[in-house]
Amino acid sequence: MRILIIEDEAPLLERVAAQLRAQGYAVDTAANGRDGLYCGQEYPLDAAVVDLGLPDLSGIDVIRRWRSGGQRFPVLILTARGRWQDKVEGLEAGADDYLVKPFHMEELQARLRALIRRTGGWTQAVLCCGPVALDTGAQQLTLEGQVVELTAYEYKLLEYLMLRAGTVVSKTELTEHLYEEDADRDSNVLEVLVGRLRRKLDPGRDLNPIETLRGRGYRFRLERSNA
Amino acid sequence: MRSLSGRLLTAASVVLAAFLGLTGLSLDQAFRDSLQAAVQDRLQAQVYMLLGAAELDGLGRLTLPQALPEARFSTPDSGLYADVMDGQGALIWHSPSLLGLALPFFPALRNPGETAFAPLDSSDGTPLFVLAFTVNWEVAPNQYRLLTFRVAEAQWNYRDQLWSFRRGLWGWLLGATVVLLAVQGMILRWSLKPLRRVAAEVTDIEAGRRAGLSSDYPEELQPLTTNLNALLGHSRAHLERYRHALADLAHSLKTPLAVLRGTLDNGASSAELRQILGEQVERMNRTVDYQLQRAAASGRIALSAPLPVTPVARKILDSLAKVYAERAPCLRCEIDPATVFYGDEGDLMEILGNLADNACKWCQRQVVVRAHPADHGGRRELVIEVEDDGPGIPEGQAPLLLGRGQRADPSVAGHGIGLAVVRDLVEEVYYGRLDIDRSTLGGARVRARLRFQANGD
Repeated sequence: MRILIIEDEAPLLERVAAQLRAQGYAVDTAANGRDGLYCGQEYPLDAAVVDLGLPDLSGIDVIRRWRSGGQRFPVLILTARGRWQDKVEGLEAGADDYLVKPFHMEELQARLRALIRRTGGWTQAVLCCGPVALDTGAQQLTLEGQVVELTAYEYKLLEYLMLRAGTVVSKTELTEHLYEEDADRDSNVLEVLVGRLRRKLDPGRDLNPIETLRGRGYRFRLERSNA
Repeated sequence: MRSLSGRLLTAASVVLAAFLGLTGLSLDQAFRDSLQAAVQDRLQAQVYMLLGAAELDGLGRLTLPQALPEARFSTPDSGLYADVMDGQGALIWHSPSLLGLALPFFPALRNPGETAFAPLDSSDGTPLFVLAFTVNWEVAPNQYRLLTFRVAEAQWNYRDQLWSFRRGLWGWLLGATVVLLAVQGMILRWSLKPLRRVAAEVTDIEAGRRAGLSSDYPEELQPLTTNLNALLGHSRAHLERYRHALADLAHSLKTPLAVLRGTLDNGASSAELRQILGEQVERMNRTVDYQLQRAAASGRIALSAPLPVTPVARKILDSLAKVYAERAPCLRCEIDPATVFYGDEGDLMEILGNLADNACKWCQRQVVVRAHPADHGGRRELVIEVEDDGPGIPEGQAPLLLGRGQRADPSVAGHGIGLAVVRDLVEEVYYGRLDIDRSTLGGARVRARLRFQANGD
């Protein structure tokens, strides 16, 4: 999942970015409104965390411009002002949720996960497709109730595919959403990862949860059991 | 012109001067007309007298006696003159008083019985009133001769009377103007006295010698003074709230700071330090949040326009629908569009936002927001109710949740500081009451009664 954080307080920006990276997110950062606006317009984001009190271009303006430009990714606003008037203003501008500073990192992560899930049409924290259940809170995969160990990248890949279960996801899209902008990208790595996931999810070779559509990408083909 | 009394006095002076000036001119004109009419009547009588005295001699010539009934005709330069002309304008007779003088040219009258009257100058420049009267004189049976009798009077007497009248008239008018202006000035001074008192009292308020304006002002100034007092009260209350919030903030922060200091001094272990630090930071955060939100309440604004409640409630519910999109509660707004709130929009948002947010947190499926006006002993109220179908609040817990009797500790698990902020807003800023009971939906019902005065402030 690719996240943009716009925050002018450098220590807070670094801390949030580091913690989200540790959670497996690909994180882009911007220290002011103008850079953040550009990133939101140019990068394929899954969500954005926007501080409202930015020095040059306010967070509200950034969100308004994204929305008027057609950007639909979910936005979580961070505000030091806890008044409802400010929250309502941010939500009316196009944000999807708010968090008042100071906040717990766990709270921020939970809100982000919920927003990203909502975009994929999921309302539960556990994504269930047949015998496969992915707990996005605990970042844990179970297959028919048995815990399956995943590496960080395997988890990221599976989460992205399951959130879009039933739809085709191209390799380019996967690369753009799983890696940060300046990361070294190698599509062969994706194929290796998909191969490893298939072996873990379908040890008996009878489920075929991830199908390859030649020249188009991958599709998680197991039907959603809850939404 | 910056002075009110200057403006009023100037306007009154101009109107008074115009009125008295026009009155004087009218009276002058009327007196002049009546004087001239009297002169004309007098001259006409003299003409009749001359007609009565005139006779024809044996040669058919017109003669008048040497001694006329009016002695002034016989005295040269007496100021009263007469002559007679025939139909061709030839002079037939003139009075002895006209010796050495000639009456001015006067168009010959052609028709018998015709009269003409005009102010004209004599041959030596003396201003005169001249009256001419034409008769058809029978000089022989069935033989008539057209004669014009002219009588003139010098204007000396007329002018004396006119000037005497004018002196009297304008003197009185001027006197009346001075007296009226003086009275006007006194009335203005008396009428504007309350305004000067307002200014003096405002100066006293600025200097800290008094708290507000007196209440015994004339009814025209009552709305101004009442609203000024309300404005003063509002800003004083605002200041007080800031002061209290700061004092409470300082007081509430010192306790966790003392705990931290004590922990440091005691040489606590790293894990212990971490735990205590986390607890105290959280405590300080809640305190700062609560006190700042409390201080930010604007309160009832004097002269505030009525604010429709429905659009504000809709904004809040739309925002909450986004925030709680996963649970997708059914948020209903049952407010008459005519329902209004007299106060700051931010305060109303704070009350509705916190109550509806709590209801969304606890509801199973339904949240209803209602608002309606009510009357409470002659004072207008706005009653806001927020209900949910959650677990509700056990009896006896409500006073604890509302933190009655507590000063600055809003920490009630699950409800955050929202309810405490709403309680302070409702009870301290809007002098109302916040109550919690059970909703017919099954959960909690929080009712806020906000009170306004009759004029809305």
